[in-house]
Amino acid sequence: MNEQTILLIEDEAQIRRLVRTAMEEEGYRVRESGTLKEGLAQLHADAVHLLILDLGLPDGDGIAFLRELRTQFSLPVLVLSARSAEGEKIRALDAGADDYLTKPYYTGELLARVRAQLRRAPQESATAENRFHFGDIEVNLAQRSVTRKGIAVRLTPIEFRLLCAMLVEPGKVLTYRHLLSAVWGKAFVESNHYLRIYVSHLRQKLEDDPAQPRFFVTETGVGYRLDI
Amino acid sequence: MLWAVIACVIATLLAWPWRDFLDPANTAMLYLLAVAVVAARAGKGAAIAAALLGTALLDFFFIQPRFTFTVGDVQYAVTLAVMFAVALIIGNLTQGLQREKEAALERERQSGALYQLASQLAGALTLAQIDEMTRRFLHETQSCHSLLLMRHGEEVSPVISGQTPLSGKPYYAVKTSLQQGAAQATLDGALHWLILPLHDMPQARGVLALSFYDVGLLGNERRPLFKAIAALVATSVERLYFVEIAQQAQLQMTDECLRSSILSALSHDIRTPLTVLYGMADTLAQSALPPALHEMADAMRQQTFRLNSMASNLLDMAKLRAGDIRLKLEWQPVEEVIGASIKLLGPALAQHPVSVVLPADMPLLRFDAVLMERVLCNLLENAAKYAAPGSSIRIEVRTDQKFAHLSVCNDGSQFPIDRLEGLFELFERGDIESNVPGVGLGLAICRSIVSAHGGSIYADNNEGACVTFTLTLGEPPVIEPEDEYE
Repeated sequence: MNEQTILLIEDEAQIRRLVRTAMEEEGYRVRESGTLKEGLAQLHADAVHLLILDLGLPDGDGIAFLRELRTQFSLPVLVLSARSAEGEKIRALDAGADDYLTKPYYTGELLARVRAQLRRAPQESATAENRFHFGDIEVNLAQRSVTRKGIAVRLTPIEFRLLCAMLVEPGKVLTYRHLLSAVWGKAFVESNHYLRIYVSHLRQKLEDDPAQPRFFVTETGVGYRLDI
Repeated sequence: MLWAVIACVIATLLAWPWRDFLDPANTAMLYLLAVAVVAARAGKGAAIAAALLGTALLDFFFIQPRFTFTVGDVQYAVTLAVMFAVALIIGNLTQGLQREKEAALERERQSGALYQLASQLAGALTLAQIDEMTRRFLHETQSCHSLLLMRHGEEVSPVISGQTPLSGKPYYAVKTSLQQGAAQATLDGALHWLILPLHDMPQARGVLALSFYDVGLLGNERRPLFKAIAALVATSVERLYFVEIAQQAQLQMTDECLRSSILSALSHDIRTPLTVLYGMADTLAQSALPPALHEMADAMRQQTFRLNSMASNLLDMAKLRAGDIRLKLEWQPVEEVIGASIKLLGPALAQHPVSVVLPADMPLLRFDAVLMERVLCNLLENAAKYAAPGSSIRIEVRTDQKFAHLSVCNDGSQFPIDRLEGLFELFERGDIESNVPGVGLGLAICRSIVSAHGGSIYADNNEGACVTFTLTLGEPPVIEPEDEYE
């Protein structure tokens, strides 16, 4: 197993220990830091594959840190915070976070999110091939074809564009604003109902149980995440 | 009168040396001049007197036969009559001018005074100051007493506490004035009262009550001044009122900010230790332990989870109670929030499979997704808490003409029949001493959120224990159809 390194910036020592235990059990290497400054130094010193970031740290605001981080690093960032307000989540995502998990969290959920984020990097090659595979669904971007259980699924142009926009960044929480401007254009960034309806179309066509979706996950009040 | 005599005597003395050269008609001109001067100086009365005296003197000294009042030549009678008439007309005209000049001066004085009052009132910071300034002004310029009264609902009272409130006739005049929005005058003993509403419409904010002993002040020429004063006072009162509203809004905003930052700090501080506890219990439960210890670790994990949802509910309730809920209403498919709620509860629903039944043509509904998720999570958690182990939970959506009915039901449990209403009260629970944890906040929160959406919520035992809430159907925004397939 190729050993991937996770950096954890979190000021609560007990939570650091918990996350470390869970991650190490899965075979990841874990680096820890209690402050943003130290965390940044570790990012420069070591090849880090994923950052798990708490927002309220003693030496600064996590969101400002994220913005600065994004000017230098492109690694996936998972925010793990006790701040549960939707506005806070959107701010963190806009600042460059890829996913957001609120405390208290299920260990299983955290591990799943970490796996999803780490899976994204090697997907670059798949993107080059323009082929995606999740569940019993296959998407071929070049041919603009989608099949489910081997049967072709007909998508409208907008549905297809939306699917592409989500496939580009699987596992990342995509805000309403981001998806609307990517699929419909800047003029539509306030038309959340368009997005909701088309996501529900995709669920109808691609999910086994559209009311309890497995892939097209709702992040209520924030956006959607393609969980593959 | 003195002016008349002096002017006529001077005219006579001036004309006397020339009595034999000047025609009496020309001498009359000199007297006319005298009358004009007197009229300009001393008004109409003196002018008439001068006209009479001048005519007499002209007749006596200059018209033949002299030193008698007999008019020898008839034509001089015309001279005398014309002179008298001209003198009268001049007198009248000059007096009119005089009066207008005085009125203009008075007006100037009044507007100067009003200006002064206005600039004073502009600096007033309290109602008491307005009252004080108006009283001083009216006392000095109009020698009358004033009192500012404000309306509080149906009652009227002076702005300065300690002042004796009105009673009897003036009090009823104030009431009538407020009701009709018009000025009222009344007499109470020796005092005349003039009540001016602060706006000429019913239910003004208050009145300005003037009282004086001199009935002349009630006259019509003073009314515009008093009305102008009332209008000035009204403007100042209005200004203070809006300043107060603005300050309150500011205060409320700071208040809300403070409250919300306290709540979020509190929520952060509670969640951190809970996260640690939960994580530890979770780790323990997943490690290889003897069965008894494993069970304990698992129970610990569950209890911590419940503690967390209780804390969230308490904080939510504090938020909901603290201020008006600001809903972010958006049209959306209801199955989305149902799915999100089921996913959010995750392992808590592991023992109870959830089935979702939706009409095929379910329309979009308009609601706040985050709050609705809260409602559904609470209902699901509740259903799971009281359901028999392993039994299933149903979410059912029906629509009728006006409403969508969303029900969350479990199989096998019953709400106590006599408490169906009370379930939604704060801190109410189905069984008073039940061993199932919870403080009864969940359903109260659901009710707050549902009623904020304009819906209703109720519980019944028709098909298992069901909680149903309604959302109003409406006309969702039109989505441009897209029918071209690739």
